Amino acid sequence: MVNRLTLGVAGSGKTRGIVEHCASLAPNRRVAVITFTQANQAVLRARLRAVAGSHSDIEVMGWFAFLTRHFARPFVPFKFPGRRILGFNFDGRPHRFAKGPARFLDSGSSVYACELGRLANELIEASNGSLMRRLECIYDEIVIDEVQDLSAYDWSILDVLLGSSIDITMVGDFRQAVLATNPRSSKHKGYAYAGAIEWFREREKIGLVEISYSTTTYRCRPEIAAFGDTIFGPKWRLPPTDSKNHEETGHDGVFLIHPDHVNIYVEEFSPQCLRHSSSSGKRFDLDYINFKAAKGTEYQRVLIVPTAGIEKFLHAGEALEPGPAATLYVASTRAFQSVALVVAKADSCGLPWWKPV
Amino acid sequence: MITKVKIAGYRIFEDFEFQPDKNLNLIVGANESGKSTLLEAIALGLTGRINGRRASEELNPYWFNTRMVDDFVESRKAGNKVAPPEIRIELFFEDRDDLQHLCGAVNSEVPTKACPGTSLRIIPNPEYIADFEKWMESPSDVLPVEYYMEDWRDFADNRLTQRPRQLVTAVIDSRTVRSAHGVDYHLRSILSDNLDPSERAAVSLAYRQVKVSLSDGVLGDINERIGAGQASLHDKPISLAMDQSARTSWETAITPHVDRVPFSMSGQGQQAAIKILLAMDRHSDRAKFVMVEEPENHLSHTSLATLISRMQDLAGDQQQLFITTHSSFVLNRLGLSSLLLIGASAAPRIPELRKDTVTYFQKLPGYDTLRLALADKIVLVEGASDEIIFERIFVDLYQRRPIELGIDVISMRGLSAARALELCKALDKRVAAIRDNDGIDAEDLRKPLDEFLETGKRELFVGQVEHGRTLEPQIVHFNGEDKVRRMLGITLRANLATWMEREKTEAALRISESGEALNAPDYLREAAEFIHG
Repeated sequence: MVNRLTLGVAGSGKTRGIVEHCASLAPNRRVAVITFTQANQAVLRARLRAVAGSHSDIEVMGWFAFLTRHFARPFVPFKFPGRRILGFNFDGRPHRFAKGPARFLDSGSSVYACELGRLANELIEASNGSLMRRLECIYDEIVIDEVQDLSAYDWSILDVLLGSSIDITMVGDFRQAVLATNPRSSKHKGYAYAGAIEWFREREKIGLVEISYSTTTYRCRPEIAAFGDTIFGPKWRLPPTDSKNHEETGHDGVFLIHPDHVNIYVEEFSPQCLRHSSSSGKRFDLDYINFKAAKGTEYQRVLIVPTAGIEKFLHAGEALEPGPAATLYVASTRAFQSVALVVAKADSCGLPWWKPV
Repeated sequence: MITKVKIAGYRIFEDFEFQPDKNLNLIVGANESGKSTLLEAIALGLTGRINGRRASEELNPYWFNTRMVDDFVESRKAGNKVAPPEIRIELFFEDRDDLQHLCGAVNSEVPTKACPGTSLRIIPNPEYIADFEKWMESPSDVLPVEYYMEDWRDFADNRLTQRPRQLVTAVIDSRTVRSAHGVDYHLRSILSDNLDPSERAAVSLAYRQVKVSLSDGVLGDINERIGAGQASLHDKPISLAMDQSARTSWETAITPHVDRVPFSMSGQGQQAAIKILLAMDRHSDRAKFVMVEEPENHLSHTSLATLISRMQDLAGDQQQLFITTHSSFVLNRLGLSSLLLIGASAAPRIPELRKDTVTYFQKLPGYDTLRLALADKIVLVEGASDEIIFERIFVDLYQRRPIELGIDVISMRGLSAARALELCKALDKRVAAIRDNDGIDAEDLRKPLDEFLETGKRELFVGQVEHGRTLEPQIVHFNGEDKVRRMLGITLRANLATWMEREKTEAALRISESGEALNAPDYLREAAEFIHG
């Protein structure tokens, strides 16, 4: 087993890195490429076809599909004899106090997405080694994209994978941890965000994984990269971001915009407008995308309508909680050239104001 | 390799289970005992196909176990809501690395067990559940298979649509090829498995090029002539060219030749033999399953002997053979230890036979071991005369011939009683063994056979020494010289003992056909009573 984790800043070309890595492998190597969003799967499949077309044993699948296909479906009888998994229930949740099969399976024997990680994790042990032996015989390597989006029991599963004979290659950026495979579980809460880096650093110490940093962004202007670095405190111990985008358009960097100037700004620069959720940013009549949905996209310019927390961060220098920090990081690093933050006042951040001429 | 086969509800098998040997399985059984059905079921589990067609296409009402269908119909008519019959064929494989993608716990084992495997089920199609319910209001004993579907999965609960590539399977039936294409489905798949992918691609490409060169060459000139003429339709030119579409691929044109005679033109026995050898001849590390139905068909004794010895040469650890046979020769030569006597619920492997016993029968392949295996009850006698006399005595006692009551009287013709009894014990048969005392006390004769005998099940019957050493003096003792002379129709001048000793079989025949009442020697009467039960 050779386990590698690459932590790459936004715009550092993580997806491209995966595609190039796959293309460089021996053509008969059996590889599972796992990623969390459907959009990402489609992108990866298309790019792999283009550069690694002769690698017939590379499969791209989602994390849930991976857990269903190789953990839950083949081995569920070890926990619930005679039961089968007949489908997948993405939105449903078991009753809070549900026990036994009802904890994991709905009335139609579909497995709850939010409990799949826990079921998979328990089956590793219940199968007396069959599950991991099977997986080890099927794959030589597992590539996990967006590893920051693992949550709860996924960490225990990853721990077992790291200890297996399969090579695990991971890429991710914990500053972009805005998705969670199980939003409700309290299991391993501490591993979210900065805690996750610590989790990997502990494993690095015992030789289970090698961590490398990819700190060059090819997307964001240096000013945006630097702003991104300020969102997270020093306790993350992350190296500073380096920018290779030296393109100049006459309006480059991070700017503060007074609410009164928003319409003029939008008219002049046509940024992609971003907001926290459909209930925020109602003050302005703009074409928004929500922060989380913007993940994985890129735009020439963005305009961000901050949340109260972000406003406090900009105005009073109050540190953001990891969750909001991640969403702000994702939102600002979507831009190649400029980021505009809509605030009435922002004393401590030292960012320049944009004013109409 | 297959470690276990479970069949439920399929044809004769209501609930059948057996654990095959990892190399060789010789399946024997009476007619209609399910030998072919067993091979069919294994092939279904391995390939999802039967005679080259998908299970779903071949499905018919006769696949379902008739007793289960009858029970179901009766129960429904009585108003019980029993579930409709289903078919399940499960194959469990050895826990090999290359089969792990078929591994899982979705199988019928209790307690839960994970191993590689496949499960083929014929179950009611949920889409037609309403129609099926309606039919069940007044069911008949022909199930509406239209409302059923095939569900073929591995033990990881993944649906299978084609044979997993690791499960290389060859089915060799004794049917022969007489089709215009020359090669039937089974042979085509055997051939195709026999070539590796690069060889296959090379043949295919070369074949295409030959066709192109024919079109460009001699056909080119002809096309010019046709083009010049008026033979066209809708003003579009007509030309002759080799068909390059898939249905004229090399597989249909290239066939095995034996001594320059095409496969389809060679003799029936030859065809079967070629199929078997092609199927087995493969240097590969893949698991391989070869199923042969009655290799003895269409083959002369010597051809069969040659085939069997080639099969033995080719057999290896990478192949698991399933062979049905009606031939003791095949059975003895391939090794009695691989014998599986098929029954309705199981095909138990016979317990360990001593190695030297297996070798003994291999060296004497003409011996009719299959009769021993298939008979319900057995009377072992030493020779033809004992056989004839025993039959007469049995008929006198019960007015029926032994065979009519499922009792097979088998003459050992000089074969060792110990070997035969060992086999009978392994097969758990009821046996009366009859032999001459040759002047030795019964107790002393019984001693070396003791481990194979069992009171009430397998017993030895020997005449008392003072009544004569062999069958003939025993008959004389119990019937008196005069009567025996009358029965034999010989004069007083002939020496009775010498005559009978010299004309053993003739004497036995004359006695058996004589109208006079025969007093049975005690040991023969006791043997008859014992085996009649």
